[in-house]
Amino acid sequence: MKMWIMKLFGRKPPGGMSCHQVGEVLQQFLDGHIDAERAGRIEEHLEECRRCGMEVETYERIKATLAARRPEVPAESIDRLRAFGERLARGEDPGGHD
Amino acid sequence: MSESVEGDGAFERFVLPEIEVLLRVANSLTRNHAEAEDLVQDTLLRAYRGIDGFDGRHPRAWLLTILRNTHINRNRRRRPELLRDPDTANDRMISAASDERTDAGVDDEIDQEIVHALDSLDEPFRRVVELVDIDGLTYAEAAEVLDVPVGTVMSRLHRSRSRIRDRLDQVGFTPRSHM
Repeated sequence: MKMWIMKLFGRKPPGGMSCHQVGEVLQQFLDGHIDAERAGRIEEHLEECRRCGMEVETYERIKATLAARRPEVPAESIDRLRAFGERLARGEDPGGHD
Repeated sequence: MSESVEGDGAFERFVLPEIEVLLRVANSLTRNHAEAEDLVQDTLLRAYRGIDGFDGRHPRAWLLTILRNTHINRNRRRRPELLRDPDTANDRMISAASDERTDAGVDDEIDQEIVHALDSLDEPFRRVVELVDIDGLTYAEAAEVLDVPVGTVMSRLHRSRSRIRDRLDQVGFTPRSHM
């Protein structure tokens, strides 16, 4: 979307936000750290702006790849730590501490 | 809410549900499963001793602060040389375990480039991405672990992801290149 053409003809950019403004808060938007009103305006912008849409697509791919690398936490470790915590909570000697 | 959460059940209610998150973050900090488990155990012990002074708000943030301080204290006690040059020391710890993380099942070229770009980031930037994108912490929680302002987490994250994106662009993997 050519923002300067819109400006020239007095048309508001999609969502009332320029690509630059979207870019400034894009990471918060992708992480869900943005209020609903602003998120709605960004979504509106993304529906019309191909350039920003592709930017989002790239970042979503990066986030998905990294999230898939979340290592499994061994269940036996969690069980051991929970048992340790439960012994502490009961006021018993938890053991296993150096 | 009163000034503290004194009373029966506070430890079970606020602390035990966070064990998995604590262990995940401890793994990121130590890069070693056994060490991570020991770190969480120490954290639980300190949390138990401090539960009477906890106000009941944001238990995860409270626990992550204890975890971070416990990690620093353990390193001070066991590896004093790390404190003289924390960045280099962290790099050493990370490089020792990075192969393990890299072999985690990357199955195509784009994923490989993303992982490579992540591994190429300087430690403070890589650490933020790992805590938020891999470990799933919020900005505020990552800020607690790193002991930096939330704004620093946001700016490092922005910069880190832009670098990863640039890497994809350089090798022709961003959508723009397919237009």
